[in-house]
Amino acid sequence: MPLNYPLAEQTLDNGLRVVVSSDKAVPIVAVNLWYDVGSRHEPPGLTGFAHLFEHLMFQGSRNVESGQHFSLLETAGASLNATTFFDRTNYFESLPSGGLDLALWLEADRMGYLLDAVTQENLDNQRDVVKEEKRQSYDNRPYGDSYERLVRLLFPADHPYAHMTIGSMADLDAAALEDVHAFFRKHYGPNNAVLTIVGDVSEEDAFDAAKRYFGHIPAIPAPPPAPDGTIGPLTEVLRDDVVEDVPSDLITMMFRLPVDGTPELDAAALALDVLAAGQSGRLNRRLVRDEQIAQSVSGGALPLIGGVSFGTLTGIASADVDLQKVEDALVEEIEKLAEHGVTEDELATVQAQNERDWLEQLATCSGRADEISHHALLFGDPNRINTRIDEIRAVTAEQVQQAAAKWIRAGGRAQVTYRRSNAGEQE
Amino acid sequence: MTSQALTTPPSVAPPRPWKFPLSTTTTTRAGTPVHVFDRPGQYVATVRVTIALPLFAEPRELEGIATIMSRTLDEGTELRSANEFAAALERHGAAYGVDVSSDALHVEISVPISHLAPAVKLLAEAVTRPAFNAEDVGRHVTIRLGEINQERANAGYRAREAFAANLFDPSVRRSRPTAGTPDTIRPLTNTKVAEFYRANVGPARAQILFAGDATGVEVAAIVDDAFGDWTSSAGPALEVPEPQYVLGDRVVLVNRPGSVQSQLLIGCPGPDRREEIWGAAAVANHVVGGTITSRVDTVLREEKGYTYGTRSSFNAPRKGGTFTLGGAVRTEVTGAAITEALRILREARDGLTDREVQEAQDSLIRTAPLRYEQADSIAQQVGSNIAVGVPLDFADTYLAQIAATTAEIATDAYNRYVGTNGLLVIVVGEAKDVRPQLTALNLGALTEL
Repeated sequence: MPLNYPLAEQTLDNGLRVVVSSDKAVPIVAVNLWYDVGSRHEPPGLTGFAHLFEHLMFQGSRNVESGQHFSLLETAGASLNATTFFDRTNYFESLPSGGLDLALWLEADRMGYLLDAVTQENLDNQRDVVKEEKRQSYDNRPYGDSYERLVRLLFPADHPYAHMTIGSMADLDAAALEDVHAFFRKHYGPNNAVLTIVGDVSEEDAFDAAKRYFGHIPAIPAPPPAPDGTIGPLTEVLRDDVVEDVPSDLITMMFRLPVDGTPELDAAALALDVLAAGQSGRLNRRLVRDEQIAQSVSGGALPLIGGVSFGTLTGIASADVDLQKVEDALVEEIEKLAEHGVTEDELATVQAQNERDWLEQLATCSGRADEISHHALLFGDPNRINTRIDEIRAVTAEQVQQAAAKWIRAGGRAQVTYRRSNAGEQE
Repeated sequence: MTSQALTTPPSVAPPRPWKFPLSTTTTTRAGTPVHVFDRPGQYVATVRVTIALPLFAEPRELEGIATIMSRTLDEGTELRSANEFAAALERHGAAYGVDVSSDALHVEISVPISHLAPAVKLLAEAVTRPAFNAEDVGRHVTIRLGEINQERANAGYRAREAFAANLFDPSVRRSRPTAGTPDTIRPLTNTKVAEFYRANVGPARAQILFAGDATGVEVAAIVDDAFGDWTSSAGPALEVPEPQYVLGDRVVLVNRPGSVQSQLLIGCPGPDRREEIWGAAAVANHVVGGTITSRVDTVLREEKGYTYGTRSSFNAPRKGGTFTLGGAVRTEVTGAAITEALRILREARDGLTDREVQEAQDSLIRTAPLRYEQADSIAQQVGSNIAVGVPLDFADTYLAQIAATTAEIATDAYNRYVGTNGLLVIVVGEAKDVRPQLTALNLGALTEL
C-alpha cells in the first residue's frame, strides 16, 4: 500500500538536521535523536563507550540534576529511553504535546553540556550499573554469550563489528574520566545527529522550537568516520563448540550479508525469512513440524551500514536428538535455497510479513520518529519510510537466489554450538 | 530567532483531556458480542477472540491442558493441515498468536486491513474447527517439555514459579505453572485435549474485538460471516473461587548453580480490580518501586549500583492480586540489597509525600494516550478487561481513581497490603554464596529448594 506520511526537513546553522512529521490525530508528540556513534566507532581499548554514554546521558547535565531527566519527563507523562547499537545510539521520548519544549530542552542540555555532570562519582556508579546489565543480559542466562562468540568468529579482530555494544568490562574499568570526556567531545554535537519530531505540532512550531533549544549549541569538529568495514562473504566454516550446563543443545550459524540500503541486502534478508520466519518458513516446516528434530528455529538479517551486515539461523534440538542432525538439516536447506531459489509464493509471503512489520513499526509516533531518524541519519533520506514497502515488494525471486548464492552458503559461515555436558542424563 | 541555553526547565502546557476509545457493539448470529474500535490511521488491525476459561477448570492431573489446547488450535483444522494453515495465514501478511491467563484464552491475529476478511476466516477456522490430530498434539507435548527445561534455566522464571508456589495455598490453581509441569503434560493426548475444548470453548463464552482503521470496512459483517455459524456444547464458565494465601515473613532460596547474580522477588497479596483502591495502589507502587526514579531504584541502582534495575507492581487476575518487587543483584551484595529493599518497602508505610503522589498521578494519567496509541494495545487492554470481568472502558475508571488519590489515600492503599501480613522473599542464585548472607538477616523461616 502507498504510504504518505508528511515530512519536512531543515538543517540548523550548527549542522543539526531536523525532520518534522506533523500528525494531529493524536494528542502526543515523539522526540527522537539519533547520534552517529555506535560501537563500530569505538577504537580498541575503548569498547563499550557508546553504550556507557547511554547511561551517563541520564545522570544530569549543566542545568539538569542527576535523576531530573527522568523525573521531569515522567511527570509530564512521557515514556522515554535510549538504545545503543553497532551503528548508532538513539535517545527518545513520547509525551503529551504540551511537553514538547521540556523534551527538547532536556535533549539540548545534554547534547551541549553533558560533561559538566560527568564526574568520577557518576562514572563509577554507572560503570557498576553497566556491569550488572552485562551480568543480567549476557552472563546469567543460557547461551547469553553466543553473539559475542559469533561476531568474534565472523569478523577479523580489528573489524568494527567484531565486538558487541556492551563492550569489554576491562576497557570500562581502565577508562579514566578524561577518556570518557574526550569520547563525548569527539562524537556528541549537533552536526553529528538527527533530531526528529513527530505528532501533534505544526511544522513551523516544531522547527521554531528546535532552533530555540538547539540553535545555540556549537558544532563540533567533524568527527572521524568509523573505520571501513567493507568485507565480502566468509569463505570457510569457523566453529566455536561450547560444552556447558544449558537447558537444550543449540546451534546458531552466522553469515556476513551485503551492506544495508541496497536491494542486495533486502534480497538476502528475504532469503533468511523464507528459511526462518514465521510458522510457514522452510525450517519450521521441516525441522519442527515434519522431522521434529528441533523444538524451535529462528533467524533473520541484522542490517548494518558499515560495509557489511550479518544474519543468523538458530535451531534448538529436540530432547534426545543429536545436534548434528539439526546442523545437517540447516546446511541442506541453506544449500537448497542457494541452488534452487525460492518460489513466487514463498517470496510473496515473506514480503507480506515484512509489510505488516513495517506498518506496525510506523503505527505509533515514536516508531515513526525512530525510523525517520534512522533513514535520515544512515541514508540521508527520511522519505524512505514511505517507500520501504515498495522497495521490499520490488525484490524478485532471482535477486533472492543470487543474494543467497553469494552470501548465505554452508561453506561460508561462523557457527557456535552449545551442548550439555551430561547429555542423556536429563529427565 | 534568538537561541541561548535556558537554565531552568520550560513549563509544560496541560494535556488535552483524554478518554479511552469508544466502541460499537453488535452480536454474531451465534450470539457472540463483537466490539469494534475504529482507529483511523491504524493500518494493521488486531482481531482478538477472548474466551472465558478459568484455569481451575483443568483437571489437577492434566494441568497445562488449556495451554496445549490453545497451541494446537491452528495446528491443523478440519479443512487444512498445520502447514497449510500457516502458509495461508502468513500469505495474507497476518501474524497469529494465543495467550492463556488465569481467567481466559485469547486467540488473535494482526493483519493489514486490506487482508482483513480472509484472515478473519482463518482465525475462525482455528477457533471453531480445530482438528487436534494426535501427531500435532503429541508434538506440542514434546515441545512443552523442552520449554520447561528452558524455563528452569531462566532465573526470572524460577523466581516467579517459587513465588507463586509459596504465596498461594496448594489448593489454588495459581500456585502452579499456567502451562503445566512434566507430570501433568506427559499424559495429555489429542482425545483429552479435544474433550477439554468441547467442554470449554464456544460462542457463548467468547467476545470478539476489532481494533484498527475501519474506514470503508464492514467489520461486523466480516466477523459475523466468519463466526456466525459457530455452535458448541460448552456451558457457561464457572466462577473463580477466592484465592487462599499463605501469609507471614519467609525466605525461600532456590539454588541455581553458576549464577553470577541473585534474582530477587519480594512480595505479598494485593488488591484486585473489585477494590476501589486499585488506582490508589498503582499510585503508591509508582512512588515506591514502579519506575527508575522510585524510592527503591534511587537507592539500589543509582546510589549503590547493586542492580541494572528493579521494578515493583500490583497485578491481579479476576480475583486476588499480588504485590511484587523484582530484580537481579550482584551475588556478593544479595543480603545487603534485600535489607535495603525491605527497609524501603517498610518505611513507605510511614507515609508517601504529597509531592511524590502528585508526580505519580501526573505520570500515570498523562501516559494514558501513549499506552493506547496502537490498535493492538487497545485490543490487549480490552481483552484483559473482559477476562477479569470489568467494563471495556475500565481504563477511564482506573484513571479517575488515580485522579482522586491523595497522599493519605495512597498510603492507606499501600498499607492495606504491603508488609501488613509479612513479606515473602524469593532468592534464586548460587546457594553456597548466598546462604550465609541470608541467615545473617533474620527474616523469618528460610527454606531451600
